[in-house]
Amino acid sequence: MAAPLVKKDDDRDEEADYSPFLGIEKGAVLQEARVFNDPQLDARRCSQVITKLLYLLNQGETFTKSEATGVFFAVTKLFQSKDIGLRRMVYLMIKELSPCADEVIIVTSSLMKDMNSRTDMYRANAIRVLCRITDGTLLTQIERYLKQAIVDKNPVVASAALVSGIHLLQTNPEIVKRWSNEVQEAVQSRAALVQFHALALLHQIRQNDRLAVNKLVTSLTKGTVRSPLAQCLLIRYTSQVIRESGINTQTGDRPFYDYLESCLRHKAEMVIFEAARAITELSNVTTRELTPAITVLQLFLSSSKPVLRFAAVRTLNKVAMTHPMAVTNCNIDMESLISDQNRSIATLAITTLLKTGNESSVDRLMKQITSFMSDIADEFKIVVVEAIRSLCLKFPLKYRSLMNFLSNILREEGGFEYKKAIVDSIVILIRDIPDAKESGLLHLCEFIEDCEFTYLSTQILHFLGNEGPKTSDPSKYIRYIYNRVILENATVRASAVSTLAKFGAMIDSLKPRIFILLRRCLFDNDDEVRDRATLYLNTLGDGSVSETDKDVKEFLFGSLDIPLTNFETSLKNYVQNPEEVPFDINSVPREVKSQPLAEKKATGKKPTGLGAPPAAPISAVDAYERLLSSIPEFASFGKLFKSSAPVELTEAETEYAVNVVKHIFDRHVVLQYNCTNTIPEQLLENVTVIVDASEAEEFSEIGTKPLKSLPYDTPAQTFVAFEKPEGVPAIGKFSNMLRFTVKEVDPSTGEAEDDGVEDEYQLEDFEIVAADYILKVGVSNFKNAWESMGPDSERVDEYGLGPRENLTEAVNAVINLLGMQPCEGTEAVPANSRSHTCLLSGVYIGNVKVLVRLSFGIDSSKEVAMKLAVRSDDENVSDAIHEIVASG
Amino acid sequence: MLLAVLIANSEGNILVERFNGVPAEERLHWRSFLVKLGADNLKGVKNEELLVANHKSVYIVYTVLGDVSIFLVGKDEYDELALSEAIFVITSALKDVCGKPPTERLFLDKYGKICLCLDEIVWKGLLENTDKDRIKRLIRLKPPIDF
Repeated sequence: MAAPLVKKDDDRDEEADYSPFLGIEKGAVLQEARVFNDPQLDARRCSQVITKLLYLLNQGETFTKSEATGVFFAVTKLFQSKDIGLRRMVYLMIKELSPCADEVIIVTSSLMKDMNSRTDMYRANAIRVLCRITDGTLLTQIERYLKQAIVDKNPVVASAALVSGIHLLQTNPEIVKRWSNEVQEAVQSRAALVQFHALALLHQIRQNDRLAVNKLVTSLTKGTVRSPLAQCLLIRYTSQVIRESGINTQTGDRPFYDYLESCLRHKAEMVIFEAARAITELSNVTTRELTPAITVLQLFLSSSKPVLRFAAVRTLNKVAMTHPMAVTNCNIDMESLISDQNRSIATLAITTLLKTGNESSVDRLMKQITSFMSDIADEFKIVVVEAIRSLCLKFPLKYRSLMNFLSNILREEGGFEYKKAIVDSIVILIRDIPDAKESGLLHLCEFIEDCEFTYLSTQILHFLGNEGPKTSDPSKYIRYIYNRVILENATVRASAVSTLAKFGAMIDSLKPRIFILLRRCLFDNDDEVRDRATLYLNTLGDGSVSETDKDVKEFLFGSLDIPLTNFETSLKNYVQNPEEVPFDINSVPREVKSQPLAEKKATGKKPTGLGAPPAAPISAVDAYERLLSSIPEFASFGKLFKSSAPVELTEAETEYAVNVVKHIFDRHVVLQYNCTNTIPEQLLENVTVIVDASEAEEFSEIGTKPLKSLPYDTPAQTFVAFEKPEGVPAIGKFSNMLRFTVKEVDPSTGEAEDDGVEDEYQLEDFEIVAADYILKVGVSNFKNAWESMGPDSERVDEYGLGPRENLTEAVNAVINLLGMQPCEGTEAVPANSRSHTCLLSGVYIGNVKVLVRLSFGIDSSKEVAMKLAVRSDDENVSDAIHEIVASG
Repeated sequence: MLLAVLIANSEGNILVERFNGVPAEERLHWRSFLVKLGADNLKGVKNEELLVANHKSVYIVYTVLGDVSIFLVGKDEYDELALSEAIFVITSALKDVCGKPPTERLFLDKYGKICLCLDEIVWKGLLENTDKDRIKRLIRLKPPIDF
């Protein structure tokens, strides 16, 4: 080891030669560990061997059971040595080896001796080791010493005992809970770290006792907390107390807010930040409360420390989701962060700006982002793309510049995930903003001209096939599609053939030319492509067999009406147990497994204060429509107008889980009850729901479709149909009772007994409300749409909504009552505003477009008044909307 | 919880790796993720300049000291600020033990002492000691001078 120290810039290979661990090998080190057994211990040598063992363990090397036992026993011999450095290594080594219960006994007496040693440091380390390797029985023996240690005057001993307590609380809570008096004393300690550790332990001991936590916080916020770390803990506990106690309704003050606010002036940055974050996460935080926190975060934005900048911009990003206005003051600082060296900070800054920006700043922002995009990694780009997508949905009028931006970045280099995010965004914009359709489709077409990802090409071709024929000039897309047939791989070629066929089916004028193209595909060298071309030529009427127009469209545009997961399972079963009969697609079950119970429970568990953004609505309507039309009894009801979201009729974790979906038709209502049997020992048969509609006078029951059998954990549906007056938004309340025959199932064989017992199960009531008759359909430009309706059908009236907590509550109540789509982000009410205008749009039953303009005002006594203006294609509908509001 | 402390040399070879509460099967993934993060971002970074990232709800703070790069991973109460505090303790303890920002060789020479320091700083995922002078005494089993 006499080699001279090499300089950093010396040759790497040479340096590796000097590594003290070069060529280290487990077997050899284990051999070396025999020195631990020498009668004359060489402390220096032993320390070196332990270092090697630690090096091995830290490299991820593992010891077998017998190796570990061997090393452990050898190490225990080292307690004989009086060498302090070696003793310290021994403590560490025992912890790293974490011996099993029957071996521990060897060291306990040595450790117990150290624990009562006069040397403080022996005590502290012995406590840590003992607590690491101990089990419950040993713990009761040493409990007395641990309690003493917690209040030891040496802070290292106290901390060791306290931190051990935090760990032991996981395994032996009942023992640790007995220490709370000592821990309480330690919280008052003068040593900063002891206070920090004691506070953490005390809170964990009492975390389920709200009153105790409240008392703890009350006393500490008035007293002195020495370490900034402890102060941070206290802030967290305080915000927990605030969350649970709510606002003082008399004075409107929030308890402990003053404490949090005072922490903003603390000298430690971590305390300031913690307090600022706690304030931003308060539920229903007001602008007045928010302002001081935002101010300190703004200062952090220009800090020289990247960690502080990151923390600040991350917090502001979250605030921007709920209080965009509050963050706008920081926009200038945030714009300078776009060029921050740390890409995480820059991305957060960009996405925050995208959330807080207003319509007029969009163009400037996009310019800045364009230069930024070229030098960040794909994962950050994806975040930006998603932010731009939501910005575009918020400001549909700006679609042109945003769509251009997306198409530009689509042309640049990028990985699959990134390109997919862009394509998905463009597709969503095309769906939601009708004006953006044509330009969006063209951008996609240009992209597939030079797209290296087969998956994306096929997705786009499929989408193009559905949307392209509905545009004003469908023929311009054909070139792009046919180019795929010439230039691409077989998968893409096959998709292109299908897309061509869709154009042919929808547009008669293009049909002859499509036939020419399809015929060329008959000579493709891939059989799937040839097969598809042959198939489509025949179905479209070029060959001998020709189908009716309706069948063709059904065949081309209808999707597989069975859930793919079920299809997959059935096919797997079929392959595993081959039968003589061919596979029958009709044998695949159509029931969709409902949301697992576990997920239901998880919702609403932890209030974050800021509230997560609502999940994207999933279009289930198509699936429902197919499901209902497959039932002959309901086939005559006509077109499905609207299906509600499922309404739960049972609590989570009950024997049977049932929810109902309300399907509205012009003259009928079908109630679809999704039932799940959660008892493995039962099979339910003849399941029906007995509906009492005595509180829904305009509805008369016309039929039910019982469910033959409901095995364990296989969701299935039963239906009840009602007739109602045509086009009338009849409302009412329905009481429900689940009726069935229950049969015992033998869990070992899975077979049900022959005899069953009739039984009933009470479900909760639900209502059909006016909102069920209005579809949420947005408009891209409310002003234009409003003016095009004309003032003739306009109905205006004023309503008093009574006292409300704030305007947000009033706005949400009316939106929920009407079930309409808020436009242009007007559902968000700036905090503390006294008046607000909200724009809604929707389609009323009978396919009548409705637009609503709501003007709200709130006075000092929190009374809310609302002016409601409605325009629609049919003035009766305008009146109907007023009736809904008047009776709601 | 402080999920991981990882120290690697400039070529991304692991020198010290301590995980807490990370399942064994995820450790390899974390190791390669962190090493890649370092390779992508640490070039040209000054000693002890902190870099920060987050991955889902997990925070990562990392830096360079001499020839070694240090990564800390934490979640919940160990957010970016707490981690920067912890990494500050680790870098100052390392400088203390090695006498300067260490070369890889120097680091390995002092390996045993460094393990002891880490043992004093982070214990099973909780930050225990934060003062370098105290740590210096504790690893020699000397009681701290100040309280």
